[in-house]
Amino acid sequence: MAALYHSEDFVEGGLSYAYDSGHVDYEYNIPSGLAMNVGASPMYDESEMQRHRIASMLQPEVIEFLVYFQKCIKEKSIGELQVIYETGFDKMSADFFRQESWPEADVVAPIVNNDKIFLMLYKELYYRYLYSKSGKNLVSQQREESYYNYCDIFNYILVGDYDSEESNPVGLELPNQWLWDIIDEFIYQFQAFNQYRSRVFAQQHKSNMESEFGYLSETSSWNVMSVLNVLHSLVDVSNINEQLTVYNSGGDPTSVSGVYGSIPLYKNLGYFALIGLLRLQCLFGDYYQAIKVLDNVDFNTKSTYTRVAACQVTTYYYAGFAYLMMRRYQDAIRSFCNILLFIQRTNKMFQAREYQQTAMSKINDQMYHLLAICLVLHPMPIDESVDSQLQEKCGDKIRKMQSRDVQEASVEFEQCFTFACPKFLSPISNYIDDGGRGIDITREAFNLQLKVFQEEVNQQYILPTIRSYLKLYTSMSMEKLADFLNVTMVDLKFHLLCYKHKLNNRVWVKGAGGLSGEFQSSSELDFYIDGNMIHIADTKVSRRYADYFIRQIHKFAELHNTLKQLPTPKK
Amino acid sequence: MESKRKQISRLLKGIERYNPDNIKELIDYVDFQAREPSAYDIEANLALLKLFQFNSISNAECVRKILLKSLTNLPASDFTLCKCLIDEHTQRHTIIERVLKLHDDLETCNFIEFWKELDAVEDLVRDIEGFDNSIRMFCRVIDITYQTMDRSTLCEMLNIADDELNEWMDRYNWKNMEDYILIQNHDESIKTRNIIERINFDSVMGLMKL
Repeated sequence: MAALYHSEDFVEGGLSYAYDSGHVDYEYNIPSGLAMNVGASPMYDESEMQRHRIASMLQPEVIEFLVYFQKCIKEKSIGELQVIYETGFDKMSADFFRQESWPEADVVAPIVNNDKIFLMLYKELYYRYLYSKSGKNLVSQQREESYYNYCDIFNYILVGDYDSEESNPVGLELPNQWLWDIIDEFIYQFQAFNQYRSRVFAQQHKSNMESEFGYLSETSSWNVMSVLNVLHSLVDVSNINEQLTVYNSGGDPTSVSGVYGSIPLYKNLGYFALIGLLRLQCLFGDYYQAIKVLDNVDFNTKSTYTRVAACQVTTYYYAGFAYLMMRRYQDAIRSFCNILLFIQRTNKMFQAREYQQTAMSKINDQMYHLLAICLVLHPMPIDESVDSQLQEKCGDKIRKMQSRDVQEASVEFEQCFTFACPKFLSPISNYIDDGGRGIDITREAFNLQLKVFQEEVNQQYILPTIRSYLKLYTSMSMEKLADFLNVTMVDLKFHLLCYKHKLNNRVWVKGAGGLSGEFQSSSELDFYIDGNMIHIADTKVSRRYADYFIRQIHKFAELHNTLKQLPTPKK
Repeated sequence: MESKRKQISRLLKGIERYNPDNIKELIDYVDFQAREPSAYDIEANLALLKLFQFNSISNAECVRKILLKSLTNLPASDFTLCKCLIDEHTQRHTIIERVLKLHDDLETCNFIEFWKELDAVEDLVRDIEGFDNSIRMFCRVIDITYQTMDRSTLCEMLNIADDELNEWMDRYNWKNMEDYILIQNHDESIKTRNIIERINFDSVMGLMKL
């Protein structure tokens, strides 16, 4: 496995300071473990006095919290770490740092005795908080610093302790939620950087953008190959694919996990890296590879390999979207229904942080929109509770997409797609069009995917209308249908063939590979042509009441039990 | 073919897939697929398109061959997958535009239009061996749609002369009736279905305990 870059030995200056009721006196050397010199950050230019002032302004509670945090990491007390990570940090953020960001790592360093591992993790949280507060306003340097911090973290995990000579797995233990968030945030910041760079390049000739443009042209941070390299290395080092294969066939994963893979930190990071790759491939428009990456993850049955809910949601969202673009509507519908049901049933907001809550509800809405698109193109019966939510959120849009008016339908499809699609990226950085102007390349990437989608929809424009007519009859002559649709007989033949072709897609049947599947025809409305007659077969699903009754009876029984156990009020 | 496929699959593992040095070998592989009608490797082709994407290479000739080969794998949506990886600039190339038009005709099953277009761009597909016959295999969609059809329409859709039709009938097991051709008997398979709910004992068992 290749390390991202060779980090030289961390060199630290000695640090000593003495509090002297207002006058602080210390020397501080900037650690020089980076292969490339980071451009001067505003903080480093400030005078030492300024730094002392800020350090002394840290409230005792914050200091106490940081020391406790560091202790938990050192002692690997996972339970307490989980509490700190999921609630403690946010509480401190809300209490003390509502308006601005947490103090910079150098300020915090003296309090934790320059514990480099703690500082790496602290910086990760620091930048994440910064992004959540003021993501759009960050300049290249800050983004780059965050990138180098991630490089440090991944280098540490992949290459091992700096002190030892061979690479050994590190003895770090972090809660799974944090591990997922690291991968998730890493890709998110990569996305944000690409969008930012694309914006700057598109406006490169504007005067206020010149310095940023110059900086961005030189930098090699956040390049796509290193991001891919990180994810692939995590997957390789943990042997996660081999572990999953064995796990799926009922065996013991530890037999194939190797030294690194048997440690939870690496195993989980390996799994999360797989999902990260799924996401990244979708962002670049390579849907085949996206599903291929999940070859060993059995996400089509309802088992869950991980308990991190955000990871589940991300998996199903991107998998469903990839299936949609591959025209495997049945698989897409199944993916979306699975996860929407999961979200409905667990119901409590399992994300602690505000920005994660909004992200979760947004992805929920996006999935309903994608589900709506799929169901318009390929109607099939779905779970009632998902259906009722769907009608509530998107009933109007569904009606418009099924409209006879091709223009109206097409506009609605475009709107839904634009809202619900991921933020596509392009791997190349600069793009000049024929007129010599810079182009916003991420916008181009989105336009490309939208165009492919629209072309697919346009090829199917007449199908919902045909379907609505066919539903009314059990057999019909070709002339009659041609009359209804106002097309020639010749054209009608092709439309009917097209209908059959579009609804005959690959559907996953069994096993772990998401790409496999047999060709199956849509089950709802089918027909065949005999001479000049169309024979139609409809599927009528009678209303299912048993499930509903059973659930309600159980709920009622539970309520009854709870009531029985309540103390009777004294008169 | 199999050995070649195995050899190429080594180049597609993990991070190696993004190595631009593999481009030449993958382009040769595309040419190999063009020469052999039965050879087709969607993964390698997508990987090559991705390398083009990542390295800003515009190679319309190679892209044309990949797209035409993916047409031969209809009804799988390989062509669409390829389209998602080809940037606007290349897509506006005249050759590619004509290939896109061919695809559009096929997807809307407008066979007559398709064969007409194909005649007009004969030289575009000349180096793909067995292209015509592979497209005729897609006309399998006729199989699932029609129960019977008359000879002339069938010949038109497949773009073959009447005397060649017998050969295709043997291949697909179509029977010759007097005035028409029996394609497939759908009576049994396509019937109106009523899905009635079945309540099994297990789900009700929980209630019995209450």
